[in-house]
Amino acid sequence: MQKIISAIVADIGRVLLGKEHQVKLALACLLSRGHLLIEDLPGMGKTTLAHALAQVLGLTYKRVQFTSDMLPADILGVSIFERDSGQFRFHEGPVFSQLLLADEINRSSPKTQSALLEAMEERQVSVDGETRPLPEPFFVIATQNPLHQSGTFALPESQLDRFLMRISLGYPTREAERALFLGVDPRAQLRQLKPRIDGNTLKKMQGLVGQVKASESLLDYLERLVQHTRQSPECAMGLSPRGALALLHAARAWALIHGRSHLLPEDIQAVLPSVAGHRLQSEGGDGAQLVERLMRQVDIIAA
Amino acid sequence: MTQPAERLPRESLLWIFAAQFAALLPQFAQLPLWIVFAWAFAVYWRLEVFRGRRDLPGRAVKLLAVALAVGGLALSYRRWFALEPMVALLAVSFTLKNLELVSRRDAFLSLLLAYFVAATLFVYEQTIPYALYGIVCVVIITAALAAQLGNFSARPRRALGLSLKLLAQAVPLMLLLFIVMPRLGPLWAVPQNSASASTGVSDSMTPGDFTRLSQSDQPALRISFDGPVPPPEQRYWRGLVYSDFDGRRWSQGYGVDPREGGAVHWKGREQLLPEVGPRYRYRVIQEATNNPWLFAMARPISDTRGVGETEDERIVRRGPVYSRFAYEVRSWPRETLGEIHALGDFERRRNLQLPGGGNPRTRAWAEELRRAGFGAEEISRRLLAFYNRSFTYTLKPPALGADSVDEFLFGSQQGFCEHFAGSYVFAMRAAGIPARVVAGYQGGEWVAKEEYLLVRQYDAHAWAEIWIAGRGWQRVDPTAAVAPERIRDGLQSAAADEFMQDSLLPLHRMAFLNRLRLEWDMINYRWYQTVISFDSDKQQNLLQRILGEVSPLRLATFIAVPMAAALLGILLWLWFSGRGETLPATSRLYRKFCRRMARAGMARRSGEAPRDFARRVRAEKPELAPMVERITAAFEKAAYFDDPAAEKQLRRLLRLPMIKM
Repeated sequence: MQKIISAIVADIGRVLLGKEHQVKLALACLLSRGHLLIEDLPGMGKTTLAHALAQVLGLTYKRVQFTSDMLPADILGVSIFERDSGQFRFHEGPVFSQLLLADEINRSSPKTQSALLEAMEERQVSVDGETRPLPEPFFVIATQNPLHQSGTFALPESQLDRFLMRISLGYPTREAERALFLGVDPRAQLRQLKPRIDGNTLKKMQGLVGQVKASESLLDYLERLVQHTRQSPECAMGLSPRGALALLHAARAWALIHGRSHLLPEDIQAVLPSVAGHRLQSEGGDGAQLVERLMRQVDIIAA
Repeated sequence: MTQPAERLPRESLLWIFAAQFAALLPQFAQLPLWIVFAWAFAVYWRLEVFRGRRDLPGRAVKLLAVALAVGGLALSYRRWFALEPMVALLAVSFTLKNLELVSRRDAFLSLLLAYFVAATLFVYEQTIPYALYGIVCVVIITAALAAQLGNFSARPRRALGLSLKLLAQAVPLMLLLFIVMPRLGPLWAVPQNSASASTGVSDSMTPGDFTRLSQSDQPALRISFDGPVPPPEQRYWRGLVYSDFDGRRWSQGYGVDPREGGAVHWKGREQLLPEVGPRYRYRVIQEATNNPWLFAMARPISDTRGVGETEDERIVRRGPVYSRFAYEVRSWPRETLGEIHALGDFERRRNLQLPGGGNPRTRAWAEELRRAGFGAEEISRRLLAFYNRSFTYTLKPPALGADSVDEFLFGSQQGFCEHFAGSYVFAMRAAGIPARVVAGYQGGEWVAKEEYLLVRQYDAHAWAEIWIAGRGWQRVDPTAAVAPERIRDGLQSAAADEFMQDSLLPLHRMAFLNRLRLEWDMINYRWYQTVISFDSDKQQNLLQRILGEVSPLRLATFIAVPMAAALLGILLWLWFSGRGETLPATSRLYRKFCRRMARAGMARRSGEAPRDFARRVRAEKPELAPMVERITAAFEKAAYFDDPAAEKQLRRLLRLPMIKM
């Protein structure tokens, strides 16, 4: 199992140069059945990451570019009257795929956003009074531009909470950039990627995540972290129980990726910025610095 | 206009009014009624401002209010420099402050003033209910102060909670200050309203006086003894001596009262101290009487400051007893004293004085006895036998006419102690024997639990003293001849049917209530003994008892040691409560390791995971790395893999020195 995971990470690493940590985080997110939000500037490789993940994991992949004039039906699908058969037939929207890349989700209107977010939570879609299940597994990788860019609708907190993680890719390292200049073509690499696993293996791996053990000391640390967010005057609001659970799940997936059957505090610390960053709010606004402080203030060993 | 931040929190306004009301409530009974209305009006105006219906009054209105208040005070009180007008002035200024209650500073001013107003309450009353009320006041005022903090601090529970917490924390300090704070004597005498009615035995005796007192079960004296307690028939608490009779009224006569220039020995009569020690030593706590005379047994000497002895063997105080007053007395019963001075000429005449006319039958009867050549004792014996034969003791004697003694002795033959004492002294004087009426209290209820004698107003009594050549003044109680049980068991048994007949409810007949009342009196007695009468003498005594010797060093130790102990206790409590449940063993071991590393110059940062730490150690102090990595691995196994063997290994590793490999 460890071999497969390493191979997956290595494969994606060939497409997305020098972003191993982010790739692992994305993988951990998918393994713990969460949805991923990538926030970054245009052209940083968000789409590439999503695409590569789909390729390597052998998932059906669709991509939707969100625009401000999009309607929910554009994602979910629509019933169309067919003259030949004289009946309405449901044309599935892009949401009916195993991995959906919702590009620039914050460019669309809240109405459309919420249609997608509902599907993410329920893993099913109701159109024309009929409930249709989405394929298994179902992931959404949404990307969004930083909020200060023009023409964006910020996702409200309740919807941000649906995403297990929020990561950003950041500029490539010097070596990676140099490799790009030297003519390494990520797109060509992307096309060459072969699926390493199939849906069943993925399901099995997701099952393994739940088996990663967490000791008392570790749960204690987690509890103190969560308590701190709830009591610290710096946090406008603390982590919800859903947030705390998400943290535990993501940390388990992270431990699995690193081939451990037990959780270590490092696992929690590794996923904490991505899991808690968009859930916490400080007076100032963003939670990223808050998480940094949180990690420093709460010691791993109970005082 | 003040800055917004300085304005008082709107919601705290009601708290301020509540505090003012609490502080003023007991004063309302004393103050003129218009001040109450002035306060209510000021509060109303301020509330209208609060609701935005009115503006704060302008300068002209305020000036008018001040003028009205000062005018009102001048009209209500003729005298300025007395206690009541000063308290009223305080209350009025307190009231008017409401008209400019704008900023937080105003609120503080008003509330601090409220503390002061609440404290003036104790000028009038120092009893337990008032003390409890004082505590309530302080709680409310402190809560009102807490309400000024803003941020919803004015919510009742929050404000009261904070107030109670603060006050609870202040209690140890209060007790300490109570014990060690120097007791200053009053810097000036507070002029009190001397017109207020005096209670208890008065300086003259007319028929009916004692009947009035017999209706009251208010405590008059509480007496605790150091040493033997006198038997009931000896418990005569002398307060006044009446030597002057005008045919109806017995009074002290001119020049006896210290206020009229009567001689008082203020510094103890050392020259008179007999060889034999005093038979009785006791301490009397006297309720307020608004009179200067005090009560003691015969031949008293008091060492209490401001108490002196008079020529007629009583003790008096320099000023009237406006509030409870305690004094120490030593008494020598007369029979223990050897030397008797002869009765001076002036004294003899004074004690033989009779009105020019009236009561002819008694005079004739006494003259007859004298002619028969009987001595003083024989005449007295005959008179008492006469009482014993045909008189009845009653609280409701029939009214007497002009020749009151005649009518009593040969007519009605029903009376009360004042009738017996008065007629006895009259008859003795008529027979040529110096005699005088003594008024005070007789008997008292022995409170066994607290060991004191409780004397109530209905124990007021009058009896007689006659001069017997060679033996001096001798007490004769004519009432005892008629109703011995009055002396032995008190008024209640002597006149059971008539006792307190006029009271609305016959409460005194219910044993349970009597016991309850006695309990309450005991509590009051304790309260007075321990709290109110804690003056500089008692303070010295207490400190001496605790410290052995009152020196600055010992005093400082006395204060510092409990404080240090208390602080240490708090520290320990914080230490233990802060730790919560004890740490798991692995965490403790890892902490130990971290402390050791910190000494080695590699402190683990807060929040740094063990593995990251080990990595940093490898980078910064490679020589420590192997050991650190082994310890980290063992710790991880023990703490996160729940491996019991790893804990032992960790223990073992920690026993080794850091750089060993």
